[in-house]
Amino acid sequence: MLTGRSTPRVPLIARLRGDGVPRPLVSPGLAGGLRDWLEDGLAPVVAGLPPDAAAVRVRKETLNQVLVCEAHVAARLATAPVMNTAIARGTMVDALFRQWVTTGSIADCSSDALAALGAEGDRDGVGAFVAALPEPRRRELLEDVAEHVQDITRNWPVPSPGWLPRTQDRMEVPLAGGRVVLTGTADLAFGNPPGEHASVCVVEVKSGARRLEHRGDLHFYALLETLRSGAPPFRIATYYTRTGELDVEPVGEDVLVGALKRALDGASALCRLAAGAQPTRSANPLCAWCVALPGCAPGQRRAGTDTPRIPGDPDVEDRGTDAAMHERTEVDP
Amino acid sequence: MQLVDEGPTAPRGLSTALPRSASLTDALLAPCGHPLAADAVRALRDDLARTLCAVVAELPAGERLRIDAFTARVARHHPERCSAGADPFVPSPATCRRAIGVAAVARCVRGLSCAPASGVFDVLAAAAEDVAVGMEGGARPPWWSPWYAQLPAGGRAVVSAEAVTWATHLYTALDWGRFERRPVVGAGDDWWDCPGSRQLTLKGRADVRVLVGASPAYVVVGNGSCPPDWQAELGLPALVGALARGGASAPCRVVGVWPTSGQVRLLDVDADVLEAAATSVISAVGTWVDGRLEVCGARQAS
Repeated sequence: MLTGRSTPRVPLIARLRGDGVPRPLVSPGLAGGLRDWLEDGLAPVVAGLPPDAAAVRVRKETLNQVLVCEAHVAARLATAPVMNTAIARGTMVDALFRQWVTTGSIADCSSDALAALGAEGDRDGVGAFVAALPEPRRRELLEDVAEHVQDITRNWPVPSPGWLPRTQDRMEVPLAGGRVVLTGTADLAFGNPPGEHASVCVVEVKSGARRLEHRGDLHFYALLETLRSGAPPFRIATYYTRTGELDVEPVGEDVLVGALKRALDGASALCRLAAGAQPTRSANPLCAWCVALPGCAPGQRRAGTDTPRIPGDPDVEDRGTDAAMHERTEVDP
Repeated sequence: MQLVDEGPTAPRGLSTALPRSASLTDALLAPCGHPLAADAVRALRDDLARTLCAVVAELPAGERLRIDAFTARVARHHPERCSAGADPFVPSPATCRRAIGVAAVARCVRGLSCAPASGVFDVLAAAAEDVAVGMEGGARPPWWSPWYAQLPAGGRAVVSAEAVTWATHLYTALDWGRFERRPVVGAGDDWWDCPGSRQLTLKGRADVRVLVGASPAYVVVGNGSCPPDWQAELGLPALVGALARGGASAPCRVVGVWPTSGQVRLLDVDADVLEAAATSVISAVGTWVDGRLEVCGARQAS
């Protein structure tokens, strides 16, 4: 059994808390200004939505996808999500991270993770997917999960109750009368609600490789927290369970404005798609994994094939969207 | 009725100054207008009972209806589900978090636990003990505890984690040091059995009850974002509170808090608010009765 009540882990927490760095003052008009900016920016595209259209929900994943290629996100939204070992690993690691932070104890990685998913009704089908894996692949996956969890228990202290830790903290920002909803779930947030100074730290846990778009995800969450609570978090961080790396960033207005522009671009594109616009096709390094590849000429030229690869396939190097975002930056700085 | 928009551009009635717990507590404790007249509440109750009795009379014999926040919402948004077979209630971390969370916050407010996470830990430990004692004929354990007790460690952890997050949102929503009399957190719901009918009960739930002058004010925690029909959401506990407690003890205000979105709405309770809530309840009861009749008819036809 792994337990963690008695072993202080100063470096990681010191970085998250920003020890020695004064907490920034909260600008009283900042959140309101950001909200007005979003409302004004979305008004024209929302006006084009059919009256009975469902709310356009903007998540970090759809935001990344639509900014890379509209046809890609349209295809993804139209097809049922496909489970793979990478997603299963990430879901199980998230559950165990939550357990560690909440209870400070993990008895058995596999059974604890599967029990956590089972208690929630296995809504994403991860438990069923793991159970159906051939024995060698299942063993490999569970050993992989155990390695990630060892990293967590080695590096993460169990937060004091006084830090007010909350896991899987859901955030929603309804805009345009609820017709557009920015939404996300932070793996961990802690700190008192903001007063004069920013006081909340938001942490994302990643079990996959480090990618450039993870910063965008985190900035999006900083924006959501700012709009929801009226003050930005003072720190945002991504923790990589494979390597133990921790990327920590303070949140300034530049970060929030950048996240807002990105969210506005993505939300506008999603609204146009919801209004029936034809999605534009943008060749990018993700084309090889796109479910729409069989019917996409630019994608086939880019990928050199009309058969999509399977995400998470261990036999194929998954470049992910990191390269795609690099290319986008070069073309459209 | 008071509309409060937490959006920073045009806040009406509630300061958006930080910390928000101070602003919300100010708004919650602000003096209320005139208390509801006992005569007006009595007249509303009599009218409502008459109307509801007539509606419920069509219900198949032996059937009972309980209208609470959930069933009223289903009737408003998904009337087709009122004629579907009732889904059996399945406990889950999401359905248990409120019950565990309010118990944890109650402990914090009474000074028995130092923070929501500690409160949840204490509540879960006590429940596990209650289950063991309950099997030997002791005090009745909370409704969720038998389910919780049979979960393996990983399942228990996710129940705990959900409850901690929920409780932390409620605990940080208010400035608890500001109340002269200790607020009641959780505690019992308000119930009203429709006079003249044994087939209908209304249930109103508030997460926190405080006193504003001589009248109670309620705080209700919602899920997700504030719905467009928030007046109906907040009006139901106000109505059931007034019906169950009578005019003098009727709630003067209901504050809705949606922590996921940071939204807050204030409903100052007056005769118009109760009238609107009563109309909404009549409509919900009618929808459910129609649904039950449909089910009954389909059963007979087959």
